[in-house]
Amino acid sequence: MKSTKTGMLHGLAASALMLTNMTAMTAMTVATAATAATSVAAPPAMYGVDAAKSELAFTGVQAGAEFKAVFHKFTADVRFAPEALASASFDVLIDLSSVDSQDKDRDTTIRGPDIFDVAHWPSAHYVTRSFAKTASGYRAAGTLTLRGVTKDVPLDFQFTTAGTGAKLVGTAMLKRLDFGAGQGDWKSTQWIADEVKVSFSLSLAPKP
Amino acid sequence: MPNLEARLRYDALAQTFHWVIAALIVTQFALAWSADDLPLGLHKLALLARHKSFGMTVLMLAVLRLAWRLFHAPPRLPEGMSWIERKLAHATHAAFYVLLFAMPLTGWLMSSAKNYSVSWFGFFTWPNLIGKNDAAFTALRNIHGILSWVLLGLAILHVLAALKHQFVGKDDVLLRMLPFTNTQRRP
Repeated sequence: MKSTKTGMLHGLAASALMLTNMTAMTAMTVATAATAATSVAAPPAMYGVDAAKSELAFTGVQAGAEFKAVFHKFTADVRFAPEALASASFDVLIDLSSVDSQDKDRDTTIRGPDIFDVAHWPSAHYVTRSFAKTASGYRAAGTLTLRGVTKDVPLDFQFTTAGTGAKLVGTAMLKRLDFGAGQGDWKSTQWIADEVKVSFSLSLAPKP
Repeated sequence: MPNLEARLRYDALAQTFHWVIAALIVTQFALAWSADDLPLGLHKLALLARHKSFGMTVLMLAVLRLAWRLFHAPPRLPEGMSWIERKLAHATHAAFYVLLFAMPLTGWLMSSAKNYSVSWFGFFTWPNLIGKNDAAFTALRNIHGILSWVLLGLAILHVLAALKHQFVGKDDVLLRMLPFTNTQRRP
């Protein structure tokens, strides 16, 4: 009898303990799910470009020698967090007239009808489609629209946060003739290489 | 008699320097004048790219040629030349050496000032000597142009003097720089 009572008590205690454990486990599962849901649902930080501390440039090869040109006017809406690549996005709008290769003759030619044709196509637009982690940083798949032609141009970049802002540094390679940036004589690649390297170093500031 | 031969004639290396550089300079004038007539565009760019590559070739040859000249005395001038003729000959030759450096260097500088780096036939790119500078570019272009007229004037004088030696003085001054000839007429 005594032993039975003790056994019952033991059984009760065990049941109570199990119940408690189960409740805790359920709570933990719910909490984990909630955390996961939050990280998927919450958008990554949104940044804009601090123009004064940023550079967007391209490097071409002219008569065997490289030349670099920067764009003074462009905007970039960057939504990026390393832990939420699925919801990251870049949207870059470049004012092609703001090209500066440190020579006004060359700039005039680049803006002219045979290269950028800014009279008809004043801006270039880059939009990302997806992101992937790479050994040294990230790779974005996206499209560049230039002279009304839209082509895939992947970006390789590194992203580092700094205080409330971030730094985005990277490169892309494209072929100018894919976009028709070279009409008439300029279609020849004997003196102006087809390959153009795009490089950027953007200082990002949080955007409300 | 190698010593006598050396005194009478320029050696094969000196003759090679002379004629290769002469041919390059003629090419340089042809390229520069053709490019001057063209509007800004790909053809002008192509001609000037060649002009720069040949110009840098002249500069490299000028370095080698000056090094040769520092260790080799040229053949003596004929006995019959007057003091003023000798001075004029030496001054012209000295000016050529100066221009062999000044022409490519002012060209290289003006390309640098315009931020158009100089490639050597696409094989490699020479560093810019100075930064982008519009005022310097304009000044250097003027100097490069003026020096080219000085060079042309001196070249004409040089050719006329050589012909005078050959046909008026009847000495061996022209022949000693001509390959495949003998300099036996007058020591």
